[in-house]
Amino acid sequence: MNDTAPSIRQGITDALPIFLPAVPFTLVLGIAILESGLLPALGWSSSPIIFGGASQLTLITLLGDGVAVAAAVTATLIVNARHLMYSAAMAPTFQRQPAWFRWVGAYFLVDQVFALGMLRINDDPRSFRAYYLSVGITFWLCWVLGTAAALFIGPVIPASWGFGFAVPVMFMGLLVTGIDRWPKAVAALIAAMVTLLAAGLPHRAGLLVGALAGVLAGLLLERRR
Amino acid sequence: MTALLAIVLSGLGTYFSRAVFIIALANRRIPSRLRLAMEYVGPSVMAALVMTMLISPQGEVMLGLPEGLALVTAALVAWRTRNHLLTIVLAMAVFWGLRALLG
Repeated sequence: MNDTAPSIRQGITDALPIFLPAVPFTLVLGIAILESGLLPALGWSSSPIIFGGASQLTLITLLGDGVAVAAAVTATLIVNARHLMYSAAMAPTFQRQPAWFRWVGAYFLVDQVFALGMLRINDDPRSFRAYYLSVGITFWLCWVLGTAAALFIGPVIPASWGFGFAVPVMFMGLLVTGIDRWPKAVAALIAAMVTLLAAGLPHRAGLLVGALAGVLAGLLLERRR
Repeated sequence: MTALLAIVLSGLGTYFSRAVFIIALANRRIPSRLRLAMEYVGPSVMAALVMTMLISPQGEVMLGLPEGLALVTAALVAWRTRNHLLTIVLAMAVFWGLRALLG
């Protein structure tokens, strides 16, 4: 296992700074759980069961508002639909992996793990697997423990500090790091503009419309080259 | 109990959305056109995510000077240094600095 040790270490050192902006998100989720009227432990169980910040926040908020199970689950899955695209984007890389890793790795495929993983898809399969699992498990531990801690410290930190803005900042950094040729930059710009134009759509569906527009723009640009 | 049901259903649905193509395409030839499209998923979804976070639950866009310049800073620092931590620290410094200046 010695040859995978550097990948494992690199995974941890990459995942920790990327988790930092998620800390305010854990606090927001902690407060949402406390305000929802659910048993705090039940609300927290969404962290290991769903493992996805935005979707957990959506579900907990809707359940707290007394929305019916079917409607709350539907809204949550719409928020999470971008993972379908992550799954497709990772499929070629996961073809070179053993079956167990496909089933286990899929569980960890959150935004940040996807973004970091995509930067490593040209690694050899063993190193990729070690790196991906290292990032995924580090992120999972931080998220599961962090959201538990947030139930206690969330109410203490004022929202007006604006720590939450670190989340879009972090994704902007990951976005730029993943751009290796100009059509990708154009696709990102188009995705951003379409998302803003579709801001009024319910359930944050503008995200999907914007993302699809970006992928289509990328395909059109590739066809012209 | 209904809350637990909702959490478990959402968890299953979320896992499905992450696993479905990884599992379904495990042993199939993936057309090169689709492969190419998949390369654009990362930049497109990340850009859409950043914008979604600037939109309030009521659908209003919340993008002032501090937010805008902080995001530009993040893009420039990430492009020049590829350092995630430095990107976050410098961009947040711009964000908080401008907010303090503009009151």
